[in-house]
Amino acid sequence: MRRFFALARTAAVESLAEPLTAVLFLSGFAVVHLAPAFHYHQFGEAGRLARECGFSALLVFGLVFATAAAMRTIGRELESGTAAAALALAVPRPLFLVAKLAGVAGSLALFTGAIACATALSSSSGAIAALARDGHGSTAQVWGPALACGVGLTLGAFALAAAANRFLRARFCWTACLLISAAQPLAFILAMAMGRDLPPSFEGWTASLLRLLPAFSALAAGCIVFVSFAGALATRLAPAPVTALVAAAIVLSFVHPLRAILPDINRFWLVDRLANGGMLGWMDVLPALAAGALLSLLWLTVGSILLVRREIS
Amino acid sequence: MNDAVIEIHGLVKTFRDFWLRPLASALRGVDLTVGRGDVFGLLGPNGSGKSTTIKLILGLLRPTAGEVRLFGLSPRSRRARARLGYLPELSYLHPFLTARETVLYYAGLSGLDRRTSRERAAELLSRMGLEGSADRAVGGFSKGMARKVAFAAALVSHPELLVLDEPTSGLDPLATRDVKELIRTLAAGGMTVLVTSHQLFDMQDVCTRVSILSQGKVVGEGAVADIVAASADPRHALEDYFAAAVGAKEGNPA
Repeated sequence: MRRFFALARTAAVESLAEPLTAVLFLSGFAVVHLAPAFHYHQFGEAGRLARECGFSALLVFGLVFATAAAMRTIGRELESGTAAAALALAVPRPLFLVAKLAGVAGSLALFTGAIACATALSSSSGAIAALARDGHGSTAQVWGPALACGVGLTLGAFALAAAANRFLRARFCWTACLLISAAQPLAFILAMAMGRDLPPSFEGWTASLLRLLPAFSALAAGCIVFVSFAGALATRLAPAPVTALVAAAIVLSFVHPLRAILPDINRFWLVDRLANGGMLGWMDVLPALAAGALLSLLWLTVGSILLVRREIS
Repeated sequence: MNDAVIEIHGLVKTFRDFWLRPLASALRGVDLTVGRGDVFGLLGPNGSGKSTTIKLILGLLRPTAGEVRLFGLSPRSRRARARLGYLPELSYLHPFLTARETVLYYAGLSGLDRRTSRERAAELLSRMGLEGSADRAVGGFSKGMARKVAFAAALVSHPELLVLDEPTSGLDPLATRDVKELIRTLAAGGMTVLVTSHQLFDMQDVCTRVSILSQGKVVGEGAVADIVAASADPRHALEDYFAAAVGAKEGNPA
């Protein structure tokens, strides 16, 4: 297990230390926190736009992050020779692949958890503000403090990362990603403490978060399939062909017979069931989670076989 | 009892292209034996097959024909590889990790527990003169400093066999002297060392045995003490021996 954790930890650190990751994280949280500002269109449901933005941010930014990080952690290591230095020691090749991708999946889980908190904050505050505007309460000011919490703490975390880099020599992007992610639940708790005066029709802050978590988990499972898929391909192919094949997989997965083996993102996009007060329990997302686990296992097995048979020169 | 750490018999390696057509014959029937406690120098001009031999010993490549035994086992065996440390030709390091994290990473890959890993990392970084830079990311290190970190990483598990591919590459004369001293100290402690290098003076100083590869074949092998004793110019003994062996093989005058 020590070997597994050494590999996974390094992959997680490296995936979060990339400047691209900090850009993706910051962009994702900015989109989610600013979504309620576009309150001219609510899709017929208060807070829905913010919620859809949160899920879209995980889908787009999470998918880009997952694919790029998996490709880098396997492909670049094989190309640069860091993989050779590790595999010359008593590290089985399947363990190397699985542990590295587990590290990337861990970083993705951090992003998912943080974006779920940000989405719950954003959609709740948007919903409260909309209800207040319609005369259902006196909390018209809720969105302002919530926005201040979300945006303020996110920017504050970014500034803190810069200070840690300046004075403590901490890795900037890695620290920024961690602090920005930690700022999201903090902002949620802070906004919850400030927004106690709620209209009776509001479902409540915690209920809002709990309602979102199963759908976010299903979507994260889909992204993890792409981690395995891109990682498996990167054992043999250069980054450009892997990117092309991942893009082709997204398109081809709409073709029915290929759905069984290709990562089909539709299988994991269960967000629509939350529309108009709909509920999505853990039992509802179980088939998607099971499909995610099976597809990940399939592509990890393919990747392990390819890596074991590969000559590392 | 068989005291050979590495045994190589009739080793052939042919690289092939995507269509499995032969691309290059890197090794054409190499035989080698490295005994316990040897500081064994694998010498040869560029493209002679030194790095390919090392990668076959480490199990990173598969032989086309012939056999490699590491501690009497297949080089793909985890039990065999658990007993070695490896310094690659280029200091491949994770740029975002600090020097300490890099050494701890390799300690983790060798299965050391956390406390031992920390102690070994501190000891080795101090031995390499890197205490002041231990918590800086290695991406910003000079080539020489990165080499020292890679050296510390190779030694962290205190291996029985240390494989060094061009250990003094990129090091200044003082650092080269330190590395040579380190190899001598490790050998005196009973560690077997397999080392490749183009620096023949350095090899003459540290190696007990050498084997010279040229065009994928062993063209000369012997104890350094014997080579020096037989030479008219002991200071350049290995250089003369190398030139004679490689020149004869490649058809050049020695």
